[in-house]
Amino acid sequence: MNVLDPAGPDAGRLAELSWILFIGGGAIFALVLAITFFAMQGSDRSRKRLSGNWLVWTGGIAFPVAVLTGLLVYGLLLMGAESRPAEPDLRVHVEGRQWWWRVSYEEPDGSRLESANEIRIPLGREVEFVLTSPDVIHSFWVPSLGGKLDMIPGRTNRLRLTADRPGVYRGQCAEYCGGPHALMALEVIAMPAGEFDAWRAQASSPVENAPARGGELFLATGCGSCHTVRGTSAAGTIGPDLSRLGERRQLAAARLPMSAENIARFITHGQDIKPGNLMPEFRFLTADETAAIASYLAELK
Amino acid sequence: MSRVEALRRFLVRRWKPIAAGAAALALLAASGGVLVAWSGLYSVAASKGHWLVIDRFLRFGMMNSVETHAPDVEPPPLDDADLIRLGAAHYYAGCAYCHGAPGLAMTPVAQHMLPAPPDLTSHVSLWTDQELFWLVKHGLKYTGMPGWPVQNRDDEVWAVVAFLRQMPDMTQQTYRDLALAEVEAEPQGGEEIARGNAPDAVSACARCHGDEAGPPKSELVPVLHGQPREMLENALRAYLSGERSSGIMQTAASGLSSDEVAELAVYYAGLEPPRRTIDTAALSGHGRELAESGDPARRIPACMSCHSESALPVYPRLAGQNARYIANRLKAWQAGQTARTDTAAIMVPIARLLTDDDIAAVSDYFSSLPQAGGAGR
Repeated sequence: MNVLDPAGPDAGRLAELSWILFIGGGAIFALVLAITFFAMQGSDRSRKRLSGNWLVWTGGIAFPVAVLTGLLVYGLLLMGAESRPAEPDLRVHVEGRQWWWRVSYEEPDGSRLESANEIRIPLGREVEFVLTSPDVIHSFWVPSLGGKLDMIPGRTNRLRLTADRPGVYRGQCAEYCGGPHALMALEVIAMPAGEFDAWRAQASSPVENAPARGGELFLATGCGSCHTVRGTSAAGTIGPDLSRLGERRQLAAARLPMSAENIARFITHGQDIKPGNLMPEFRFLTADETAAIASYLAELK
Repeated sequence: MSRVEALRRFLVRRWKPIAAGAAALALLAASGGVLVAWSGLYSVAASKGHWLVIDRFLRFGMMNSVETHAPDVEPPPLDDADLIRLGAAHYYAGCAYCHGAPGLAMTPVAQHMLPAPPDLTSHVSLWTDQELFWLVKHGLKYTGMPGWPVQNRDDEVWAVVAFLRQMPDMTQQTYRDLALAEVEAEPQGGEEIARGNAPDAVSACARCHGDEAGPPKSELVPVLHGQPREMLENALRAYLSGERSSGIMQTAASGLSSDEVAELAVYYAGLEPPRRTIDTAALSGHGRELAESGDPARRIPACMSCHSESALPVYPRLAGQNARYIANRLKAWQAGQTARTDTAAIMVPIARLLTDDDIAAVSDYFSSLPQAGGAGR
């Protein structure tokens, strides 16, 4: 997660602009320090020279006007470079929720592929993120790929990003959204377009051969009232879709690395791991039951 | 120079000796009091009673205190038959020993308390509903009148108040019908009486919850018939440990051994669910919608995910449950009852998302839903 390590053209422009500002700002600051030093400690001759009106005219008026005009033109050119083709290559709907991300890929046939907290995108293709929120204001920010954009209840914001370099890029909710806001992160996995297409083709089908006992317990515990697992009667939409949970790299909005042990911990002690999150703790489950559910979920890949 | 002015000047000039005198007097009184207590001369014997003047003074203070502290709240309808029945059953178990009951004299032990507990048939009319509520909820210091075992179940306190309002005109027969339902087993002969083999009707669960013969008589009491054994056992253990809050149930469960808890759970889990007249109108509409699908936009999960027949046995089944019990439980959570058991931790946040309309609809829905057979769970 680094603004100065861009992995796509949008982040690249931001990084370029940042460097110009840092270096330019640093140079001007050094110049002002130097002038101040000579004004206080310099010889009589240099002090006399600095006391003239010319310094106000040049340093106070001409210089800022020139620099700011230059920056404005440059900024407008940068923004102009963002003019886009009418249709993006891929559209991903991301809904910021307290305190996770609902992810929904638009499929070529018009249907949706549901997931959460992890977004896979193809390299080199332009992706439009359709950003919404049903509860409070969140902000979608993946620094390595581009700038941030708020997710505002009742409004749809669109952000287009492209990744040039394969990798895993962390994102973070960048607008305070209550309780565990700081623990509301996500990961964007940029992968070669061919791999992405292959993944997407199989991701919408249900996982087969998941451990049966864990699956039964998952339903009997009532998990399905909030979570969906495709191919089962679990079709809840209150919490994240778990259809391919085991495939994700992270758990609980990039709070913990994915593993059966961590899933089990989250089921029984989720409030310790992510205080204030909306999933209740299921402490009455026996260790054995929790482990069965966790390994079932970890096998969904 | 006015008198007030003279007094003011006097006080300004002489405040030091006046203050010193007052302090000395206070010190003298305090040390006198300590001396009396230390000497042990004052008798705390309950058998001797108070001096008349002290007795009057204490009563005067008590009456005024209750009047001042009684809450300014609107009581629930106190002529509610379910509420009266619930109150009667608890009165039988918790209050009658000291206060007597219609047709039953106070025990001699209670009569010799100081102050002696009043005979409520004649005293109830001295108090307003709110004052009675305050008395039952908080008890009376220095008298032996206990407060309600938990302070967050006003609904239960009102049940006792509702019963107390009816008590003065109640016949012994009505009282026994209300408090004992049909559970009362009269000792058959001298031997049974002598040996104490008669069933202990005080702790009999069936007085409130019913048994093979039928469901609970009060709609405010849950149907236990055919509930999962594990859930029943957990509930009783939670009452015993105080994690589940109820003055009535904590009293009823106290004294149960671990084995008895297990036996009771097996018993009720094995009972056939009582037959109900089905209200088909309640089986469709908003209640069904919430039960089967929840309301995802408001983050309300479907009730049936955890309360259906196929759910884990730690969860109660709601089909065939009393509507008033369901509504009362949900409202108690809304009113601030906290989640101290592992299962309540899941239910409390959900209950707080429900509106009054939601609660009415789901309660009616579940009470109308036929319960599957429970035997053998």
